[in-house]
Amino acid sequence: MRYFLKVVWAEAVKQHKNYFNNRTIYISLFIWPLFSFLSAYYSYSAFDVEGTLVSYINGKNILVFLMLGYMAMSFFRSVVQSAWNFSRERQSGTLEYIYLSTANRLAVLMGNALSSVFESSIVMLIFGLLIVFSNCDSINVNTIGVSIVLLLFIIMALLWGVFLNACFLYSRDTDFLFTILEEPMEIFAGVKVPIAIFPAWAKIISLIFPLTYVLEALRQVLLNGASISSISNTIFACVAIIVVLLSATLITIVVVEKHMRKTGNVVLF
Amino acid sequence: MELKVLKATIKKEFQVRLRVYPISFMVGCILTSFYTTFGAWLMYHYFFRRQLSDSFSGLTGTSDYMSYAIVGSLMYLFVVRTCLNVSRTLMTELWEGTLESLMLAPFRRVAYFLGNMLLQTITTFGETAIATLIGVFFGLRIHEFNIIEFGIAVVLSLYCFFGVSLMLGCVMLYTRNTYITQNTLFTGMFLVCGITFPIEYLPTGLRLLGKLIPVTDCVSLMRAALLGGMGQGQFTQTALMALISGTIYIAFGMPLMKQAERLALEKMEG
Repeated sequence: MRYFLKVVWAEAVKQHKNYFNNRTIYISLFIWPLFSFLSAYYSYSAFDVEGTLVSYINGKNILVFLMLGYMAMSFFRSVVQSAWNFSRERQSGTLEYIYLSTANRLAVLMGNALSSVFESSIVMLIFGLLIVFSNCDSINVNTIGVSIVLLLFIIMALLWGVFLNACFLYSRDTDFLFTILEEPMEIFAGVKVPIAIFPAWAKIISLIFPLTYVLEALRQVLLNGASISSISNTIFACVAIIVVLLSATLITIVVVEKHMRKTGNVVLF
Repeated sequence: MELKVLKATIKKEFQVRLRVYPISFMVGCILTSFYTTFGAWLMYHYFFRRQLSDSFSGLTGTSDYMSYAIVGSLMYLFVVRTCLNVSRTLMTELWEGTLESLMLAPFRRVAYFLGNMLLQTITTFGETAIATLIGVFFGLRIHEFNIIEFGIAVVLSLYCFFGVSLMLGCVMLYTRNTYITQNTLFTGMFLVCGITFPIEYLPTGLRLLGKLIPVTDCVSLMRAALLGGMGQGQFTQTALMALISGTIYIAFGMPLMKQAERLALEKMEG
């Protein structure tokens, strides 16, 4: 276990040195999500907010509702970027060296996602918390619920990142990742518009994204004062997703290594 | 001479696109337009159940939110595609190693950039047509089509987008970075240029910033030409504002581009 954690830490430090050597990275990590958040917030001004069908959303807490969406998305978005960056290991030939070492593959992927999840989301997290605390009179928090959901949230974001990293051990063509996971996640995971009011077909698409479940749980415990028992279905779904993501990652790691041994190719496709 | 450069640029760029054009760029931009439209559709029909705020109609001159948002997203697609290609022209030459030989050739930059712009305009019209069809499906309706106003809006938009592209190109060449600069401008424009909501909802600072970018006026002109809601006098005034700001962008953009080129050549290996 100590060795596993050592690899996780080493990979996290490596990723930090790779991507945080230039301050412009904070523009993509904070300014872009901030602009998107503000655009969504001001686009609400065109509507009569009190007319919404969702009972716990009103003119007072809609800012927090939206902020929670963008804050949560910044965690999941950062791991998409992490996977994109990880594919560069293949392009630059360093993946070969990782595979030649005795480092645990899962630990490498976890270190990469860990660095990304926490470092890339920290600015947005602080900003989000400031918004939440400055509007604390408009929220209805269930403290125990929040603690459990936050724990699930962090595990899910981390494992989503680990899983995406594992998928891109297989290929160097990662551009489509953004096309599939960036904007659709913003729309279908309920970041701007709650999934409760989605038409049936859009609800089915939303089920693909792990962010959908955990964001819904987070909003329920923070805005609606929901107890864990009242959102037990969502919690079970989150636990199930965690098990599926971890299993899928472990299987992918084995399959990819077998494939690489067979083809002898760690650099190209 | 200038016409020759223009024709040569169009021919060269067309061949490059035919052979190595990254189709993912085109698909990505159309998808962005689709997601913007779809997000607006979800908000309007499902989240807020078609209940607009009291101020919306007064500020925009229309009560058709979907057409308002879709025209905005189509214009956004147009400006993004233009800026993406025209601004990055010299950066692409730098990456491909052809900037040095290009600079050795005795040609006028205006013709070179116009050539790129013309070709891009043709391509973008095709992409916008696809996005418009998607828009019609989500509720785009033309209420008061005025062909003269439409013509003025198109010409002024192209003129202004050319100016914005030049300025963006300067920043790209100077910083030698496209990813951060272009995406910061695009997300910023989406916020301050009235793409899906009237800029009057923004705080004063952001509203002023929006006024400084000619895209805001161009979007308003296009909406007026297709959806109505703007009087003749106001249309003329907005058109004049767009013309002036577009001219300022071009007047500053061209000499700045020369400076940026010089710097890029000096730092070519560094």
